[in-house]
Amino acid sequence: MKKIKEIPRIKQDFSITVLRKRLFAIVIAVAFLFCFVLGRLFYVQVIWGEDLQEKALDQWTREIPVVAARGRITDLNGVVLADNDDTYTVFVRKKAVKDMGKLCETLSDVLSLDYEYVYKRLTETRSGEVTVKKQVKKDKINALLSYNFDGVYYSRDNSRTYPYNETLAQVLGFTSTDGKGQAGLELYYDKYLKGMDGEILYETDIVGVEIDGGKASYIPATDGLNVKLTIDSEIQQLCESAMTEAYEIHSAKSAQMLVMDPSSGAIRAVAIKPSFDLNEVPRDDLDALAKLSRNNLFCDVYEPGSTFKILTSAANIEEHLQGNKSAFSVEHVFSSSRYRYVDGQRVKCWSNHANGKHSNLNLQGALNNSCNPIFVDIAMSLGKATMYKYIDLFGYGSVTGVDFNGESQGMILPMSAVLNVDLARIAFGQTIAVTGLQLAAATAAAVNGGKYYVPYLLEEIYSDFGVIAEKNLPKLKNRVISEKASAILSSMLEKVVEEGSGKQAYIEGAKVAGKTGTAQKYENGRIAAGKYVASFVGYFPADDPKYLALVVIDEPKGEYYGSTVAAPYAKQVFEGIIKLKGM
Amino acid sequence: MKKNLLHSEKKGDILLLFTVILLSVTGTVFIYSASNYSASATYGDAFYFVKKQAIGIILGVAAMMCACFFDYKKLKKFTLPVAIVSFITLILVFIPGIGVENYGAKRWINLGAFTVQPSEIAKFALILFCATYYSRFKGAGAGFAGNIPVLLFGGATCLCVILEPNMSITVCIAVLMLTMIFAAGLRLKTMLFLLVPAAVGGVLLILAEPYRLSRLTAFLNPWSSPKGEGYQLLQSLYGLGSGGWFGVGLFKSRQKYAFLPFAESDFILSVIGEEIGFIGLFLFFALIFFIVYRGLKIAAKAEDVFGFVLAVGITMIFGIQAIINALVVTGSIPPTGLPLPLVSSGNTSIIIFMAEMGVLYNVSKRGSLTF
Repeated sequence: MKKIKEIPRIKQDFSITVLRKRLFAIVIAVAFLFCFVLGRLFYVQVIWGEDLQEKALDQWTREIPVVAARGRITDLNGVVLADNDDTYTVFVRKKAVKDMGKLCETLSDVLSLDYEYVYKRLTETRSGEVTVKKQVKKDKINALLSYNFDGVYYSRDNSRTYPYNETLAQVLGFTSTDGKGQAGLELYYDKYLKGMDGEILYETDIVGVEIDGGKASYIPATDGLNVKLTIDSEIQQLCESAMTEAYEIHSAKSAQMLVMDPSSGAIRAVAIKPSFDLNEVPRDDLDALAKLSRNNLFCDVYEPGSTFKILTSAANIEEHLQGNKSAFSVEHVFSSSRYRYVDGQRVKCWSNHANGKHSNLNLQGALNNSCNPIFVDIAMSLGKATMYKYIDLFGYGSVTGVDFNGESQGMILPMSAVLNVDLARIAFGQTIAVTGLQLAAATAAAVNGGKYYVPYLLEEIYSDFGVIAEKNLPKLKNRVISEKASAILSSMLEKVVEEGSGKQAYIEGAKVAGKTGTAQKYENGRIAAGKYVASFVGYFPADDPKYLALVVIDEPKGEYYGSTVAAPYAKQVFEGIIKLKGM
Repeated sequence: MKKNLLHSEKKGDILLLFTVILLSVTGTVFIYSASNYSASATYGDAFYFVKKQAIGIILGVAAMMCACFFDYKKLKKFTLPVAIVSFITLILVFIPGIGVENYGAKRWINLGAFTVQPSEIAKFALILFCATYYSRFKGAGAGFAGNIPVLLFGGATCLCVILEPNMSITVCIAVLMLTMIFAAGLRLKTMLFLLVPAAVGGVLLILAEPYRLSRLTAFLNPWSSPKGEGYQLLQSLYGLGSGGWFGVGLFKSRQKYAFLPFAESDFILSVIGEEIGFIGLFLFFALIFFIVYRGLKIAAKAEDVFGFVLAVGITMIFGIQAIINALVVTGSIPPTGLPLPLVSSGNTSIIIFMAEMGVLYNVSKRGSLTF
């Protein structure tokens, strides 16, 4: 009864319609909110889902890098100049370690590290993943593997090794400790050599502990491609020992030698002393490293002195053949005076002309005796424009385009600024600075029939399966002089070795040709007393040049003439080549 | 129909109870999935949270059964004691030694063997108070003055909870109170006068605590601080997003590997969404909505005002909390710690919600279809 009474009372006090409406409104509101939630879920899960999952995937996995094996560098005949040792990085995921004390003990023991150091690294480093040691040899890894520690991981990192230590050091360059090309060809061809690292992905929890039953995926590394150089390691060795000898005997600042094939521009050897062991790069002494690893022949300039007379001669012969009246015929006999006066300045010959050797000389005689005034006559007669035309054709004042970083373009007064007296000195290789490579390439062009080839170091790039990815062919840049002019010049340079200042490079029957050079060094714009650059550029056989050598001895003590200091080493190397190649 | 009106004893809403149990058991399955990794890492027992939850469910079902057979009208008599217990426990939270501090908030009291979250009791106390009040003073709900006692009671409760501090439960209680006032028939114009200060109060609360403001900015662009304030939201979104249409499969969540904090409690929806996808969550929300719908239907058919308000309150606290939790997990509102009722890990919460569902059932047993 009581219950029945109550019901009408509700009806009295509460308007049922109002309450119903209110409840209905609440249901609608709740339904609306649920629809909103579902709509939002649809957006997050279905529309946005893939993007979110991709981002999440990143945090669900940890990678162990699989380092690609770096490509090898070989010489023309496949002799390996830069190789890899299988080494590994050892690292530790701290959270996964079960017995830290024992682990540190073993690690310090096997890897010959200080226990305190290892313990500190593993306990005090904030990152969850700690690299313990890089470039650990395989046998030590095997030793560690036998302990079967939890949380210790290994990844291949490779160590670069250079079987010939100092050989070709300034050209090969080196890699950083983590195997990235850092200098020389290692840097220049890094993109081919480095390959592509792979990785192993592990599913882990938030701190990097591998999940039981988690999937691991393996993305294999693509090994780097091999680089085959134009270098001939046998010739390289000849140059290395010649330059070591020169560097020591003459107590020189440096002894540099370059051998190239004048008929293609292919570089066969580059030896620079002092050098350093590529397997023990002095990374702590950056100054020393910078000095020792500098490829002086490509990147530094010097005043070439008399070797530059090849250009002046070539210009004269070519111009004469072309009928230029201001050029001299090969029979023309020049004035025997020791002096020439240009712009009111006296330009003199290095010789005092007392012994009569510099009297009544034609161009051949001038080259034989390296008589400066005669080349001044030629330059003055040909004039600025013609001289600069040849300087330009022979590639001076611009980089040769060799496949190497940091090549210098030399230093040449701009034609608009050059005075006659400057031009007079340029004629015999002063007031101009060139790189050894420029001089070698220009000389090659002058004597190979007149074709300037871009010097190069890369023969080909090939994979381990023998597939050639890229083959480098000789690149003809431009003609410098006619074939006839080139032949005339070459026979003259042969005479220079037969009977002139290049005698020290003479080899019976080998048709060696060349030109010596002795240049005073300038320091701060003044002649540096007693400092010379002795050089010799030579090649053989003169009628069909196959090997061209440039020897530069920087600051020899005592004797300093190119003829006596530099030429003998060219001879030494040429003899070696003749023996090697059975010529 | 008439018969039911006269003999109000009838079959209750068995389907409601069934859904409640289904939801909480399903929840426990996901608590296992979400917590086994971190539980075995932290407590050395993969079932740590599952066991706790199982105890909660057993006690909850027991409480629910009791409530099912307990005439809800007799609850009126408990209004005062429950209110007193509510306020005492709310205050006890602040007493050192009894109150348990966690994550910088004092939200639990220690009763030796277990801890109790007073704010869970407070919600029920408020519902009971409203039900008793509106049934005692019928018609009072229509005007502002008549609602003052409810506002005072609710306001005092909110004050205690916000001091813990617990922003999310405070918001829940405030919304619940407003919903009940609305349901009790307050004139709409007057209602607006209540809503405006409530909204202003909400803004002030956010401004009062610097961490709430930084959470708000993190919410607007979680990627601005992926390791800081935005972290939890991002992790929640990663989980949901990875689920896609059909989910990655039961127990296959990747986010539970310690990436997602509170995976077994406040953010369990994210794990569920990751494992069973949008389709699964759709069905899951159908269950939740079903409970709300049935609850409101029970209210509509309630025998008396007391039952009506009681049913609305119980249903709505469940609905409000579920919706706010879902909005947080989906990044629709700034993150705040609020468990998903009947699903998230948490003993006090599940026992009280289940008991409330029992009360709801009892209301349905005596319901009148003519209402």
